[in-house]
Amino acid sequence: MATTPATRRKSPRRAQIEAAALYPLDWLEERSGLVGAIKYFLFRRVPRDTSWAQTLGSASLTAFLVQAITGVILAFYYKPDPDKAYESIQIITNDLTLGWLVRGMHRWGASVFIILMFLHMARVFLYGAYKYPRELNWIVGILLLVLGMAEGFTGYLLPWDQTAYWATVVGININGTAPFLGPFIAQFLQGGASIGADTLSKFYSIHMLVLPGAIAGLIGLHLYLVMRLGVTSPPWSPAEAGRERAPEPPSTNGREGLIRPSGRGGSNGE
Amino acid sequence: MASRRIEERRAQHQRYKEDVDRTGKPFFPHAMFHDTVMSLVVVSVIVGLAVVWYLDADGTEAGVLGPHYTEEADPGTTNFIPRPDWYFYFLFYLLRISKWPESVVLGTVGIPTIGLVLLLALPFLDLRRERRLFRRPVALVALLLVVLSMGVLTYKGATARESLGSELIEAVPVWAERQGFAGNDEAVEGAEIFAQAGCAQCHLYIGTGSQNLGAPELTDIGSGERGADYFARYVQNPAQFGNTVMPPYAALGEENLQKLGVFLDASKGTEER
Repeated sequence: MATTPATRRKSPRRAQIEAAALYPLDWLEERSGLVGAIKYFLFRRVPRDTSWAQTLGSASLTAFLVQAITGVILAFYYKPDPDKAYESIQIITNDLTLGWLVRGMHRWGASVFIILMFLHMARVFLYGAYKYPRELNWIVGILLLVLGMAEGFTGYLLPWDQTAYWATVVGININGTAPFLGPFIAQFLQGGASIGADTLSKFYSIHMLVLPGAIAGLIGLHLYLVMRLGVTSPPWSPAEAGRERAPEPPSTNGREGLIRPSGRGGSNGE
Repeated sequence: MASRRIEERRAQHQRYKEDVDRTGKPFFPHAMFHDTVMSLVVVSVIVGLAVVWYLDADGTEAGVLGPHYTEEADPGTTNFIPRPDWYFYFLFYLLRISKWPESVVLGTVGIPTIGLVLLLALPFLDLRRERRLFRRPVALVALLLVVLSMGVLTYKGATARESLGSELIEAVPVWAERQGFAGNDEAVEGAEIFAQAGCAQCHLYIGTGSQNLGAPELTDIGSGERGADYFARYVQNPAQFGNTVMPPYAALGEENLQKLGVFLDASKGTEER
């Protein structure tokens, strides 16, 4: 923070300006440690063979953020009432400036989000990345997938058109066939003798409050665990981080390029 | 043995951390560049889908990506195929192939629950350190089977066809003749309601309709002499009769329910069956 031996000659004027410019960051860092946390996040090391396959997680996060933003905008104009819902969807699609784009992005973003989560899961499975010590993060990921699909189910009713209504009738009745809690959940979701105003407002509340909140929280936990445990190397990579090594005398140097190539090929390139 | 395994994997993770410290690259800018490009691709794809969807469809008229919306929800009629969003097709099709009542619980709840439990338990079932796919034969076979069966179920769910009410109504005179209720106006009207209210989305009737959700065939449902009133009350609220799969159709109204009851009661079964 203060003067280091390597400080080059700086005019006192310039040092003053720099200090003034950095003052807000220092203020924030002193009180929250957030600057350090962001620095840690950005400059933490990942295995050098990390590549495109490992972008599917952050891509899922991007899709979730698209859903969150477009969802908030849709909530400005959507009316969760069986008498008005269908009309409000028509207004959003046909009359509002760029309403069609926001609704279209939300509608199709949902599918993209689900696809990306499945691809991300497949990547983790292929890499064996659910193994020790990342078991807990696998479980959090499965919960995120289930909650994401629940978002799809609850969101499907909201346009209140025939497709929405009857798919939900079938969906709620499927819930009802589950043992023990099934009939209870179905009754709770439906909230009456048949699907109506209570069902719609319940689905709306679950869709835009309960599930997104849970998903956002679990994403936070998911990312924390990724940072704590690190990103896995592709298992077939010659430079796989954590790979078994042939027993060799303890290196005094530690620089890989300087170690004599061992019988097992050593490291030559990516 | 067990403790040896725990030590081995701890040692491996220790090696991992040392390797990353020693030879890893900082997340910014290297990995972050990949993430940013990928995220831009994702947003572009979403916008692209929204644009194609909007431009190609017009209100209730479907384009390549489907309509903007279908007709407003009407609890009285299902003149169309009740179908969930595509990522539930596998579940939807699993329901269609399960038969009432013995395997419907298996299809709706059993298989998905077992699948989910296995998925959650995966890290505790697969305790080996080996990560190379070709040295994990069980995992490889399981992966292929899951992808294949999900793919097939999703495809079958997507291409499953059910008759539309408007097509079904043309079959009513044939039904009346074969069941022998052609002279009974109430039964014929009940048959028309049956065709239009979407009953055949789940029930089979003289070879028409489908067996969705494991619903029973109704061709000879009236052979038990239970009476029209019984059927009218059943359809009004199936849950009262212990059937929690079938939704209540109270919205059809008393009069229509009564006609439907007469129709079902008159369905004694065709002779050749």
